Amino acid sequence: MARAVTTRRKAVNTAIAWTIGLLIFFPILWTFLTSFKTEAEAISSPPAFLFFDWTLENYGAVQERSNYFRHFMNSVVISIGSTVIGLIIAVPAAWAMAFVPGRQTRNVLMWMLSTKMLPPVGVLVPIYLIFRDFGLLDTRTGLVIVLTLINLPIIVWMLYTYFREIPGEILEAARMDGASLRNEIIHVLTPMAVPGIASTLLLNVILAWNEAFWTLNLTAANAAPLTAFIASYSSPEGLFYAKLSAASTMAIAPILIIGWFSQKQLVRGLTFGAVK
Amino acid sequence: MATQHSRAAARLMISPAVVVLLLWMIVPLALTLYFSTLRYNLLMPGANPFVGLENYRYFFTDPAFTTALVNTLLLVGGVLVITVGGGIALALLLDQEMFGQGIVRLLVIAPFFVMPTVSALVWKNMFMDPVNGLFGYIARAFGAQPFEWLTAAPLFSIILIVSWQWLPFATLILLTAIQSLSSEQLEAAEMDGAGFGSKFLWIILPHLARAITVVILIQTIFLLSIFAEILVTTGGGPGVASTNLTYLVYIQSLLQFDVGLGSAGGVVAIVLANIVAIFLMRMIGKNLDA
Repeated sequence: MARAVTTRRKAVNTAIAWTIGLLIFFPILWTFLTSFKTEAEAISSPPAFLFFDWTLENYGAVQERSNYFRHFMNSVVISIGSTVIGLIIAVPAAWAMAFVPGRQTRNVLMWMLSTKMLPPVGVLVPIYLIFRDFGLLDTRTGLVIVLTLINLPIIVWMLYTYFREIPGEILEAARMDGASLRNEIIHVLTPMAVPGIASTLLLNVILAWNEAFWTLNLTAANAAPLTAFIASYSSPEGLFYAKLSAASTMAIAPILIIGWFSQKQLVRGLTFGAVK
Repeated sequence: MATQHSRAAARLMISPAVVVLLLWMIVPLALTLYFSTLRYNLLMPGANPFVGLENYRYFFTDPAFTTALVNTLLLVGGVLVITVGGGIALALLLDQEMFGQGIVRLLVIAPFFVMPTVSALVWKNMFMDPVNGLFGYIARAFGAQPFEWLTAAPLFSIILIVSWQWLPFATLILLTAIQSLSSEQLEAAEMDGAGFGSKFLWIILPHLARAITVVILIQTIFLLSIFAEILVTTGGGPGVASTNLTYLVYIQSLLQFDVGLGSAGGVVAIVLANIVAIFLMRMIGKNLDA
């Protein structure tokens, strides 16, 4: 509903919006800046904003303190692994529901969504005990399984809302031309579905990367992804602001960049297509 | 158009997703219900006798339960008020013409991508810490006593941290909704002499009603399960001042190893979430027809 306005009005809007935007962004910017300070400068009073001796030592210190790279890789493996397995299960399901809807399709979709309403704490005890008995506690495999399951409904729903926008006539035309179901999927559907699948993938990597209930409760030193690793800074030894900032910057940077690129898909994905 | 053949294929394609979700839903749920009727503590090996509803009686009569329930509602309610109110204001602002709109948008949505443990620890240490935090410094600069955020107002502090994380979500969705409002309608209202107040109340707000409902319901689902932010900031304390239902169940089951009691708490959390879920499902179900 944007309409033409006077330049003066536009300048005022710009000033207000930028001020608020920078205030909201400030904690992230501050973390980023602090990660390049020495520990002494990080808590200096008055605080140093840009004029301090920029150093990279914290990034090295974070790695030395407890093998940061390992936890980073845990995050990568767990978030990408759970998303890819989720997609493998969800793509056929969403395809079938979008193009061959039956009487039960709607109910199945709603039921899938309802599993998302199950509060994790409601099944914390049995999952913990099952994981203990099957030796899955503190393993990447265990977390990939859980995160695949908790994000599967979102993956199915997102794909479904994308697939539904692919015109069915194209598939019918292909069928008339004698294309088999397999050919239909590979040559007709896939090219049209790729953008939707890509957005779904990005959104779910973000969600899995930041998941902080199961990752905190089911891991210890071995399989802890960054969410759980960063939590170890809640009981630190000595000065740690600069190291916390360095660890945090590396933990959020990749996902912040992915998030910025996929912001358009975010809305429909997170509202299950209710707002586009 | 679907043939018999393609129907069978469709069912085959849906079944893996249905089967894994069914297992994921039913097995732990049944176990939670079962454990909640046992006297079962991991520290006391041996028989786990059936005790009926005793765990529920303990859970409900525990004074921490009432506090946790109230805290859960305050946490959800507080964050919703801040994020929906702030989200509407921000969405209206971002919808205006300005220079660098795209960049401001990126700045505003950024907190949503910050993992909960990072945002909680950054706020706790670098802002709310009375000695070394920025807020403390600002207070001292004005000659005031630094405020002990996480000890004097733990729940409020957590509400602020969580609101910072969720404000972008509300803003982004409300902005998307506002942008679909036709300008003709607003221009017509202006010609009739409507000021901003009446335009907002009679045109913009009704247009946003659906998006606001979606924001409230989806956020509620996530906010009922706030956990990491409490774990790394206050640990639920002082006492149980910032313990919510999720955190209380975590304490009972994984810190006190009381499987029976923790399971009973889990069942209570499920019931609470379901009450909310019923409304959400109805909303989204309507959209499916539209």
